[in-house]
Amino acid sequence: MITVFDYGAGNLHSLVKVLTGTGRRVALETDLRRAVHTELLVLPGVGAFAPAAARMAAGRATARDALRDGLPCLGICLGQQLLFDGSDEGPGEGLGLLSGRVTRLQATRVPHIGWNSLDDATDSRFGPAALHTAYYANSFVCRPADPSVVVAWSTHESDRFAAAVRTARTLGVQFHPEKSSAPGVQFIRQFLDDVLPR
Amino acid sequence: MLTRRLIACLDVRAGRVVKGVQFVGLRDVGDPVELAMRYEAEGADEIVYLDISASAEERATLLDLARRTAEHLFIPLTIGGGIRTVDDVAAALRAGADKVGLNSAAVRRPEVLNEGADRFGAQCIVASIDAKWDDGRFRVYTHGGQTPTELEAVAWAAECAQRGAGEILLTSIDRDGARDGYDLALTRAVADAVPVPVIASGGAGSAAHVCAALTTGKADAALVAGILHDNVMTVAALKQAMRAAGLAVREAA
Repeated sequence: MITVFDYGAGNLHSLVKVLTGTGRRVALETDLRRAVHTELLVLPGVGAFAPAAARMAAGRATARDALRDGLPCLGICLGQQLLFDGSDEGPGEGLGLLSGRVTRLQATRVPHIGWNSLDDATDSRFGPAALHTAYYANSFVCRPADPSVVVAWSTHESDRFAAAVRTARTLGVQFHPEKSSAPGVQFIRQFLDDVLPR
Repeated sequence: MLTRRLIACLDVRAGRVVKGVQFVGLRDVGDPVELAMRYEAEGADEIVYLDISASAEERATLLDLARRTAEHLFIPLTIGGGIRTVDDVAAALRAGADKVGLNSAAVRRPEVLNEGADRFGAQCIVASIDAKWDDGRFRVYTHGGQTPTELEAVAWAAECAQRGAGEILLTSIDRDGARDGYDLALTRAVADAVPVPVIASGGAGSAAHVCAALTTGKADAALVAGILHDNVMTVAALKQAMRAAGLAVREAA
């Protein structure tokens, strides 16, 4: 079973459609403490940091421990940012699974909206033969304290930032794979196949 | 590197794609979901639905359409037309839109831009601005280009961005449907004045026009409608021309 943590903002339809399209059961859960009782947790990616962190607060420690213990997790956009300690976008604590902060893009045009390339990948899910250009819609990006968790990079103007991070069995992506057309859909399916027993 | 976007716009009314000139002689040209999926397959970077429904009954179908579309379309969908309040924004996003365009409602009550951005993030709030050259300046019009306002387009765009709009969808009323090119002076003036992406709209008649909007006009994205629906150009041909002009373009699968 896959559980999508639903913190009340934005469009989950496309994401849920991709997840159910793999023949697996998908549940939406608004309580993070209950959401971790699953085979794969998805932290979706629309909304602002502070309200999402507030919705997460009660289940924060439970979820962090579950991910540390190896619960597979896919964090998308804001969902990736929530893996870190905190954000300059607003108050509240992230999961703290990864150390580092979320800060505003250093660029003349923000938000960063559109399709950007995924560079210098150290994970075979990204690169010329896999997902190489993805759709972004973000003003803030993750700045990991330990750059070795970054498995792909993107650059907006001159600001190079973490396109994807990996730790334990958690993968966080700053872009929206569910909005990155067929290669993005394929990326999600591949991740599910990699982390979930069939 | 961030690529330049080509965005396909569909006018919808009562859940169907319609086509007409200046809202006159509208005729049904198909199912929005089918057309949107076709444009995605051809390499369109985003889809915009502009709802031109004339009544609440017709507009009621929009959220259902967003829902159906989101289940089949895997590129971003923006919905504009008839969105009035932050609750309308919430409903559209919840139904399946990734971004929402605000036009007349933002002119009437600019705070709706702040409210939308605070609640959902700037990246999903699009300020849709219709402008027309009038008495030596670009004047903002509302209600489908019918109602003049006292706002000047460049200053209004800057205010929209300052209030939290994450993109400006800028339509030239003078050029809309004329197919003689985007209003490059308008586009460039707005692109120079705002720190958010600008989508050029109105006037596309050829691939050269699209390229000019993205180079001379300094737009981040170009919106096309009629030339696609009338099969004057295809998405693939437009993107090939963008590539040939030296612009960074996404390679579709």
